[in-house]
Amino acid sequence: MAIAQAVRSMFLTEFVSAFFLAMRYFFMPKKTVNYPFEKGPLSPRFRGEHALRRYPNGQERCIACKLCEAICPALAITIEAGPRRNDGTRRTTRYDIDMTKCIYCGLCQEACPVEAIVEGPNFEFATETREELFYDKERLLDNGDRWEREIAKNIGLDAKFR
Amino acid sequence: MTQETIDTLWTYGIWLLTVIGFSLLMIVGLLLIIAYLLLMDRKVWAAVQMRKGPNVVGPFGLFQSFADLLKFVFKEPVIPAGADKGVFLAAPVATATLALTAWAVIPVSENDWGRWVIADLNVGVLYLLAISSLGVYGIIMGGWASNSKYPFMGSLRSAAQMVSYEVSIGLVIVTVLLCAGSLNLTEIVNAQQEGLGTGIGLPNSFLDWYWLPLLPMFVVFFISALAETNRPPFDLPEAESELVAGFMVEYSSTPYLLFMLGEYVAITTMCALTTILFLGGWLPPIDVAPFNWIPGFFWFLLKVVAVFFMFAMVKAMVPRYRYDQLMRLGWKVFLPLSLLMVVVVAGVLQYGGFV
Amino acid sequence: MSKKLIIDDTEIEVEDGITLLQACEQAGAEIPRFCYHERLSIAGNCRMCLVEVKGAPKPIASCAQTVNELRPNPDGSPNVILTKSALVKKAREGVMEFLLINHPLDCPICDQGGECDLQDQAMAYGVGGSRYVENKRAVEEKYLGPLIRTFMTRCIHCTRCVRFMTEVAGVDELGLIGRGEDAEITTYLEHGMLSELSANVNDLCPVGALTHRPWSNTARPWELRKTETIDVMDAVGSNIRVDSRGPEVMRILPRNNDSVNEEWISDKTRHVWDGLKTQRLDQPYVRRGGKLRPATWEEALGVVTQKLAQTEASRIGVIAGDLCGAEEMFALKSLMDRMGVANVDCRAAHEAFDPSLPRSSYLFNTTIEGIDDADAILLVGTNPRLEAPILNARIRKRYLKGGCEIALVGAQVPLTYRYEHLGTGPAALSELADGKHAFAEILSKAKAPMVIVGAGAYRRFDGEAVMALAARIARAAGKDKAADWRVFNVLHTAAARVAGLDLGFVPGKGGLDTAGMLEFAKHDGLEVLYLLGADEFDMPPPDDVFVIYQGSHGDAGAHRADVILPGSAYTEKSATYANTEGRVQLGLKAVFAPGEAKEDWAILRALSAQLGHTLPFDNLTELRAAMYKQAPQLQRIDDVTPATEDPCSALIAREGKVSDTPFAEVISDFYLTNPIARASRVMAQLSALKAAAATDARVTPFGTDEASVQYQMSPEA
Repeated sequence: MAIAQAVRSMFLTEFVSAFFLAMRYFFMPKKTVNYPFEKGPLSPRFRGEHALRRYPNGQERCIACKLCEAICPALAITIEAGPRRNDGTRRTTRYDIDMTKCIYCGLCQEACPVEAIVEGPNFEFATETREELFYDKERLLDNGDRWEREIAKNIGLDAKFR
Repeated sequence: MTQETIDTLWTYGIWLLTVIGFSLLMIVGLLLIIAYLLLMDRKVWAAVQMRKGPNVVGPFGLFQSFADLLKFVFKEPVIPAGADKGVFLAAPVATATLALTAWAVIPVSENDWGRWVIADLNVGVLYLLAISSLGVYGIIMGGWASNSKYPFMGSLRSAAQMVSYEVSIGLVIVTVLLCAGSLNLTEIVNAQQEGLGTGIGLPNSFLDWYWLPLLPMFVVFFISALAETNRPPFDLPEAESELVAGFMVEYSSTPYLLFMLGEYVAITTMCALTTILFLGGWLPPIDVAPFNWIPGFFWFLLKVVAVFFMFAMVKAMVPRYRYDQLMRLGWKVFLPLSLLMVVVVAGVLQYGGFV
Repeated sequence: MSKKLIIDDTEIEVEDGITLLQACEQAGAEIPRFCYHERLSIAGNCRMCLVEVKGAPKPIASCAQTVNELRPNPDGSPNVILTKSALVKKAREGVMEFLLINHPLDCPICDQGGECDLQDQAMAYGVGGSRYVENKRAVEEKYLGPLIRTFMTRCIHCTRCVRFMTEVAGVDELGLIGRGEDAEITTYLEHGMLSELSANVNDLCPVGALTHRPWSNTARPWELRKTETIDVMDAVGSNIRVDSRGPEVMRILPRNNDSVNEEWISDKTRHVWDGLKTQRLDQPYVRRGGKLRPATWEEALGVVTQKLAQTEASRIGVIAGDLCGAEEMFALKSLMDRMGVANVDCRAAHEAFDPSLPRSSYLFNTTIEGIDDADAILLVGTNPRLEAPILNARIRKRYLKGGCEIALVGAQVPLTYRYEHLGTGPAALSELADGKHAFAEILSKAKAPMVIVGAGAYRRFDGEAVMALAARIARAAGKDKAADWRVFNVLHTAAARVAGLDLGFVPGKGGLDTAGMLEFAKHDGLEVLYLLGADEFDMPPPDDVFVIYQGSHGDAGAHRADVILPGSAYTEKSATYANTEGRVQLGLKAVFAPGEAKEDWAILRALSAQLGHTLPFDNLTELRAAMYKQAPQLQRIDDVTPATEDPCSALIAREGKVSDTPFAEVISDFYLTNPIARASRVMAQLSALKAAAATDARVTPFGTDEASVQYQMSPEA
């Protein structure tokens, strides 16, 4: 036994078999996704950049209930609320998300009773400065307008599992 | 000034210029080749892991190494406050310079024009051993000058490791020297024109090279070469999972680049040495047409690349050794084995009628 | 007598006459309820408090059933009451489902969300779903004034608000009309509710039907930091909770304290909060070239130091205002003592209090809780409804219980109870004192008579003499009464006054009082006037007086000032206040003062160091230790030091000539009595509404309209 082991070591049988195994992988099709040019599939539940949505008539969905702010484990959301001037309904006067604090847990969209705050499918929002990641209401609504189609589709796809 | 003086100066001047020219040619060629060996290293590793590897800079990522070069050069070198600045900066320079110096004696071909080597030393092997042993200084200096514990531990490991494996490398080379009967690297290659293959009547072929008769030594040499150059699975001085990056922790920018360069030059040196000692240097695998039409230099290059491919594959295949295993292998396996082989080879040569 | 009950296997003996709900609570059982409130009458219309009584055919509404009404068991064994049985659970679930039929599911936009009784109880006692598929009803919003925002669709018709307005506030302004699905809470004429206690209905509302309009939709209960502190709007010292978020006070709510404010606070106390954010002095100012210009603390203190150091002590005057805490008054008094300044006063002009008399001569000796035991009350020169609405509610509570005669000497004002108007001025008082008036008889026959002297009586040139008259009445009334019953009471209007008198913040030897200082100033005598938050006197002093104003708001004092030292408002400092009873209460700091403003005692400490009269304390603890040494009664936080000495004889000793001038109404506008209130937009709105009500017959005023007075004084059921 010891001799066989010595011989195996001597002639590196394990190494050789590993080499052939490695060579087999060497020629296998590559799994790399050539990222900026091709992208992997995204789940409808993907939690990317935040967006504030509107109703189809253009009205903001957010009713300033502050549930997202309350549930946010990273304390990334800051809301100030007040009655809207024209009709006195409850609206946000300020809705900030500090994207540098956000941990993308998705609890805000879980908490939202009107599906106003959502984490959309966009994950390409790197910026050059930190300040640009302090999103305000305007920026979030803008995101909502830009991604509304995808967001609506994703919510539709996921609806039956909720 | 006499005519004689002028003649002397002229003669030596020409010689000096020639040497400088050849050296530059060698360095530039070597660095270019290394740039692509580096890319190959990464590509091979990626392929085994079913990735594509660098493929963005240039076609198929061919300019990746140059991009890296630019990136390193343009970054800000950070020197730790507690570091010994002089030694800290001297260390990578020493590593790179010593690694490049080794190539002075490495012949890459021989033909009607002569030997393709800068300095055709008749003790080339000794020179190589000396220079490659000096390589450890760069690492020790770097680790010590960083004034930080991880680099220091990395350099300690490195010193022990390189010393350990130099012993077996030396003994392995002794067996080759016994067979070749010369310390000159060109003559070692030439000695491989005839061997086991010709002994049974075949034409000059790869069967004549020393890898076959000295197969165990070839294996020991290859493994020791891995250890000597701190390549995986013996990259304990770097050991990024335990020592962050070993002796290179505190390095950045160009000094880091020089360390990496030195490392890869050393690897290439080891590949070249393997080629010369065991794989017949620039000799064609079979000395018949059309193989012997191809210039020897390309055979040499091909063999170096092949050995390097093995280096890269090992890196992809084998997990890192534990430090005690590394030491056990060096001192308890390779050293007795190579000692024994020196005796056996010497005995066979003495009593087998080869002398 | 007591009655034995078995509640959830616990045998318990309860007092006679209490409700089943109270009995269950005493036994430790939790009974959900919406309409029941221990300070209001029992309505029994939410049905949430159903419990099972063994032997009864149906679950019983426990709030509306007294323990005596339970049918005795045939064998004489105690009644068995179950609060956790399956029947009770089912009954509660059913009631909850009914309540939620028409209640909208708009908790996310409801201001009550997070502190809503219905929300909590639906979670605790309700079922997950509803079987109701028809359309929900919707009810039009009602206009109930600038303080109350209505969402009448959310109303569950508990009628707590109606009962509160009728019983406690004493204004029949709210009612429930219609039946069944058409039932609605409304003010019949859709005008704003005008009561100084109206905003309490928002606290009482168990759902979000009535919410606070001024801070509507701005904050959520869970994000607010709650600080329990003391109100300074009047001298009652209502216990309040200041809710703040970050650096901002978001709202003010009452805190329960049975001996002071029960659980009510006045609208001014509650909604003055926006005055804390406007007109603030947030940096020092120095007048240069006739204009106030921003300055640094160094500059401002330097100017003050220079001026005070240059001026003769007898030409320096110091007046403390109505909202000061005891700490800063103590610090200022100590500083002035060190400088030898005798002209210090904390009283408004002509206020006839003298701390050298027994302490009980300027306190509300019966205590507010004591009102509950009184059976004859004489109000002298006061309108408690405006001067202390909470105290007024106490009197009304006593009045509703019956057997309490109330009479008023002074301006005839609409109060929330029936009273006998004896006259408008000292003449009537003299009559009473001489025993010539019928009410004197009532007082002397009463078991627990009270004489309440208000600001209209004591804030006069002849204030001492009027007080002496009142004291004579009190002494006469107090004859042969319980030994610890004190008849003589003073109703203050300023939160700072009692502590100031306790600290002896009155003129020293040869010093001038407020009126004297102002007179002295007119004759070029006074050179420097130091105002510690004092705005409530005849402004401005003559131009050549150098005025230093230390306070929180840019009001009368600050406008005239030559140097402004920005101090803190009552929510921004920890300070001691003694209310009109002499009850010492500690206010806590809820938020930081804006900008560069500092706590007042700290400003005075810094000034004292610059003046070379360094005060011997470096923090509040040391300050308080020194203060307690001087006025040990201030040490008894949340407690009243009982009056040991009867003040009457001391007061009578100062009897003098009284003029015939009727007692004035000291509070002309309830909503604008101090700098904070004057800075408040809500208070301005209310004040304007009240002014409009005085001229608009459609709106029930509470100031002048005789008809409405009669209406409000109609007999109670």
